Amino acid sequence: MSDSLFREIWERRSLIMLFAFNDVKLRYRNSTLGFLWSFLEPLLMLTVLYLVFTNIIKSVVPNYPLYLLLSLIVWYMFQRATTMGQTSLLDRAGIIQKIYFRREVVVVSSCLTAFIMMGFEFGAFAIFVVAFKFVPPLTILLLPLLLIDLFIMSLGVSLFLSAMTVYFRDLKFIWQIILQALFFVSPIIYQLNMFPDKIRTLLQLNPLVSLLDITHGMALYNTLPTLKESMYLGISTCIVFIFGYVIFKLKSKNLIEEL
Amino acid sequence: MEDSNSVIVQNVTKTFRIYHEKRNSIYEYVASILDRQKAVDELSVLRDVSFSVKKGEMLGIIGFNGSGKTTLLKIIGRIYHPDKGSVITNGKVTPFLELGTGFNGELTAKDNIIIYGVILGFTKKEIKEKIESIAKFAEVERFLDTKLKNFSSGMNARLAFATAIQVNPDILLVDEVLSVGDISFQEKSFNTFMDFKKRGKTIIFVSHALDQMRDICDKILWVHDGIIKSYGNPSTVIDEYKQFASTRDKL
Repeated sequence: MSDSLFREIWERRSLIMLFAFNDVKLRYRNSTLGFLWSFLEPLLMLTVLYLVFTNIIKSVVPNYPLYLLLSLIVWYMFQRATTMGQTSLLDRAGIIQKIYFRREVVVVSSCLTAFIMMGFEFGAFAIFVVAFKFVPPLTILLLPLLLIDLFIMSLGVSLFLSAMTVYFRDLKFIWQIILQALFFVSPIIYQLNMFPDKIRTLLQLNPLVSLLDITHGMALYNTLPTLKESMYLGISTCIVFIFGYVIFKLKSKNLIEEL
Repeated sequence: MEDSNSVIVQNVTKTFRIYHEKRNSIYEYVASILDRQKAVDELSVLRDVSFSVKKGEMLGIIGFNGSGKTTLLKIIGRIYHPDKGSVITNGKVTPFLELGTGFNGELTAKDNIIIYGVILGFTKKEIKEKIESIAKFAEVERFLDTKLKNFSSGMNARLAFATAIQVNPDILLVDEVLSVGDISFQEKSFNTFMDFKKRGKTIIFVSHALDQMRDICDKILWVHDGIIKSYGNPSTVIDEYKQFASTRDKL
């Protein structure tokens, strides 16, 4: 059963890539700045946040601009993947009502679009690293593992949201509000260790928080997560993914006629 | 013997939910729990439909508009999931339900062939190798780099059809596509289907061209109000259907 799921999705890899790259192109084509926009969007956000928070936090967080940029790149990936993934079934209604392929394909391709955009932004990150004469620690080499984890987590959330949003359209707005809240309870602007232990442990229950925390440590501060932290991240990501997939499976049976 | 069946439809039942007022927000859902008025009606589109199609057979489906023909095709094509019953298919199914799914006017004909081809299940490389022959069949060789929005609707249909037939399915589901295009294109597409038939493909198609169906179909299935009214020899079923239609018109 699950064997055929992966096989069917793998057989459709051409379609996934096509959808994903077309969406990336569409996102940049309409602006004259085009491709550059992918760098400018996080840069603008970075500038604003930096100017606002620099005096409060700068002294506490080493390499604060890089810290901020890295957080934003990871955050944007999650935000874009879930936002695009959420409406992916509705956006591609015209096609999935006519031709059969695994419905998961459209959700996977939306998350992949966000993933590709993240790739460009890491290009911007590299430029910053050079500009700040920052020497990244060796632990940064493990970053791809975290990004794969981020992809699976975003996909799980997207699968859940995409199926539910077909039935409840206002989930689109509700999710935007939840995203805003998530932004502020995640270590994006600040560092987790600025909080007392109790609050910190509570925040860390959120897999996205622990992912961001570990990412910062690996990419900037030469710290590897403890075994407990890594296990927690891995297991909670799996739970998020399986939960999303099960809901998707349950809801997707009669989904086409509800589109 | 079982092997010779290429499509087996068993006791398929499908019900659609018809909303009086569209309730697809959480707010409305909660409100509907408090206000117990029934907002959803059930429309039973297919009831306990069973039949099978042998490999290489051409089955025509007839019936009035809204009788469930397209729904039946969509269930065989796995687009809809039946509420009850099952569909077993032996081999690759390609639905020709609406040609040109995913066409984008802002892109060139070539790009559209690639996109449509990939949607239909080709890899990008496979479809690129076929561009030449698709353009030739569609008679648009000179316009491969033209944006699709500048195509006439006939050219558009030809291009879509030419791309769709590149798929080498074992089972074809055709929904009235023979009726698009001018006479020469209709003839061309008709010949293509006959060619598929000669090669032993199973074809299920919905049409209102009764006389044509009498000539080419091996069997006819008449669907009326979600049940099979008659099934079997083309001439017999079509005559029954015509008679039924004329008596109904008189009422």
